[in-house]
Amino acid sequence: MAERTSSIATALAVTGCGVVSPIGIGFEAFMEAFDDGRSGQVALGDYFAEPLPQKTACYLASFEVRDFLGRKGTSFYDRLTALGMVACDLTLAHSDLVITDANREMVGVIVGTSTGSLKSASDYSRETMTQEHPHWVNPILFPNTILNSLAGQAAIRYGLKGVNATVAGGQLSSLMVLRYASMVIRQGRANALVVGGVEEFTPHNAWRLHHTGLLEGTNTLMGEGSAMFVVEATTAVRKAGRFPLAEILACEVIQCGQLDEPEGLAQHFAGCISRALDRAGVTPEQIWAVSSSETGNCLLDTIERGGLNLALPQPLAHQLRVKRQVGECDSAAGAFQLAALLALYRKCTDGNRRCSLVLSVGEDGSMGCAVVKGGG
Amino acid sequence: MWSKRIPNGLTKMDRRRVVITGIGIVSSVGFGVTAFKEAIKAGRTGISPLQSFDTARFPYHMGGEVRDFDPAAWLQRLDPALYGPSSQFAAAAARMAVVDAGLDPELLAQSRAGSSVGSTSGEAGLVDRMTAAWLASGPADIPASLMAQLPANRLAGAVNRELGLTGEAFVVATACAAGNYAIGYGFDLLQTGEADYMLCGGTDSVSRYVHAGFLRMGAIAPLACQPFDKNRQGILIGEGAAMLLLETLAGAKARGAHIYAELLGYGMTCDAYNMVAPEPVSIASCIRRAHVNAGIRAEDVDYISAHGTGTRTNDVVETAAIKAVFGERRPPVSALKSMLGHTIGAASAHSLAACALAIDEGFIPPTINFETPDPECDIDCVPNQARAASLDVVQCNGFGFGGNNAAIILARHSWRNELVL
Repeated sequence: MAERTSSIATALAVTGCGVVSPIGIGFEAFMEAFDDGRSGQVALGDYFAEPLPQKTACYLASFEVRDFLGRKGTSFYDRLTALGMVACDLTLAHSDLVITDANREMVGVIVGTSTGSLKSASDYSRETMTQEHPHWVNPILFPNTILNSLAGQAAIRYGLKGVNATVAGGQLSSLMVLRYASMVIRQGRANALVVGGVEEFTPHNAWRLHHTGLLEGTNTLMGEGSAMFVVEATTAVRKAGRFPLAEILACEVIQCGQLDEPEGLAQHFAGCISRALDRAGVTPEQIWAVSSSETGNCLLDTIERGGLNLALPQPLAHQLRVKRQVGECDSAAGAFQLAALLALYRKCTDGNRRCSLVLSVGEDGSMGCAVVKGGG
Repeated sequence: MWSKRIPNGLTKMDRRRVVITGIGIVSSVGFGVTAFKEAIKAGRTGISPLQSFDTARFPYHMGGEVRDFDPAAWLQRLDPALYGPSSQFAAAAARMAVVDAGLDPELLAQSRAGSSVGSTSGEAGLVDRMTAAWLASGPADIPASLMAQLPANRLAGAVNRELGLTGEAFVVATACAAGNYAIGYGFDLLQTGEADYMLCGGTDSVSRYVHAGFLRMGAIAPLACQPFDKNRQGILIGEGAAMLLLETLAGAKARGAHIYAELLGYGMTCDAYNMVAPEPVSIASCIRRAHVNAGIRAEDVDYISAHGTGTRTNDVVETAAIKAVFGERRPPVSALKSMLGHTIGAASAHSLAACALAIDEGFIPPTINFETPDPECDIDCVPNQARAASLDVVQCNGFGFGGNNAAIILARHSWRNELVL
């Protein structure tokens, strides 16, 4: 039997985008705020009873899930689930995908995360240590402690019976979700997917990020929120006479072990970018914009810029740094970078059908690159 | 319609065939493939009183903990001090799988190779430690090294680092079906030519809050896990990892590797019904998808490794789904969890490893602790004693919270050739 290697990865059409961000809720609001250069920074004041390592963050201080989804079924959502569910709701409303009993078995949900809701898990653990009887915990809250709580809740709320998965990729989560989604659709395991990332601002996450030292000495704040997208096979969308917001042509992810030699790692990253371009059938000269994961962290930014400079010969028309406005949103970071790129495509009509990159470099040595093409 | 689709317009013969050539096990019944095989053949139990946390004030305190795990004995590169127990289990099991496969580790590291690891809760035991530290002296004094070990992406990162792999390090968190999802993704990467070797499986470790949560739900048994028994009382929390080395059939043949089994295909569905209660129609649909994807008929299946948790609900629902798909001709169905306890995100990976061994060695692992038949679970659960059997095609079920279902189909690797030729 002939061995066969794949050629170009299946292109994903992005047909919807829902954003719950510190600078605006809804794609239009996010787009305007991003374009205006607005920041989501707020003073944390006394929003939290617990001590915090910082005084400001890109925090959605007035966010209430019931304002968007009502009270029914939402009262036991933790913050992570609530932020993600509203983003799912918005993206499904934004997309022209119609979900009926005829197709819901082939519509799924794939969400990126780092730790799930660390607060939910830790609060549960705390109950076992402070209650008179350690197992006198609330059974209704137990599902919030597992990593796939949001994906399961989204499936229930919207009746999505197709592939349902949660991908834990840390900083790379959103790109890994796109890569996994591409494989799921390519293999015929689903026809449409709600995909994206989510992160919550809680004292637990604030301390976790603080202890990594990743943002130390940078101007980047910690952020939170969720960006979700509807993705489908491009061929099917075009065949139906529908127009995608953008296409994901390829998505490559690598893992490079210890982050000790920035130069060598930049070369690895350049290789990853080049392979993504190759898989997308796009030349480096065709790249118009880059949505970067830079935070000001010296080591990670050096790898990212170094890789980009090695892979692309020319200066870029646009370089987006969405973390300056929404903060470092960890497993939602890549999703916000993609949302920022979609906002750019919408604002700049000369971006139609032009190609861009979403880049991601994680502190664990993982790196990724998605090649995106403007819709129209 | 799903059943009419040939993905990508390719015929099955165009696709690369995927086989299992290495198995690595960390479990309460032993380390490594040989110890595991002997234990599940003998029907040994891995259940003992829990020691990972203080169980004094818990009403029930039995579980399937891994005892005497010495990371240094298994790991060659990874510094265990930097990783939590779930990551250590996964990396150790992956190293064992590579040794078992007889694959040159240098060649592997230079190949298009990565890892795909399933987990329910990541490093749940570390969440307990972090919480205790917070309660004791506040969040500012929690050791940074402990915080750094929490993200679940580190599970696959540990595997890549231990083996020097540079392909993707993928962690899928689909609750107690996670092992099957992770192995399924590895299968897809190999079948489509995205990778040449994948280390795939699942891992989880025991934690206080997960034990408490299941206990509060009434899902924990006092002493023993008794799947399909009329008097079953629930699960016992277990832990460990199972990692499989997947490669192409052509590659395995070229290097003269021992082939445990071929992965024919798999199916996934979501109940979209309830976060914790399973739903039989969706599970039946998952099994049918797996059969279609694998290119088999229900009557080809010689044995089913059940999700078989030993809760009242699961075993009835799983039996109903199996009856809906298989009708009156139901193959033997046994539950590994009777021996290992519920190894959570590793459970379906442990089951799949057992399935591969069952095909390779010609036996069906038993459901131990079986005493009283349940008319609502009218299947042959291979009670208490392993059974000699020549198996061509086996099915591995995995279901989880969030309504996640995945079933994988394995076959003796020569089975398909005999059909085709």
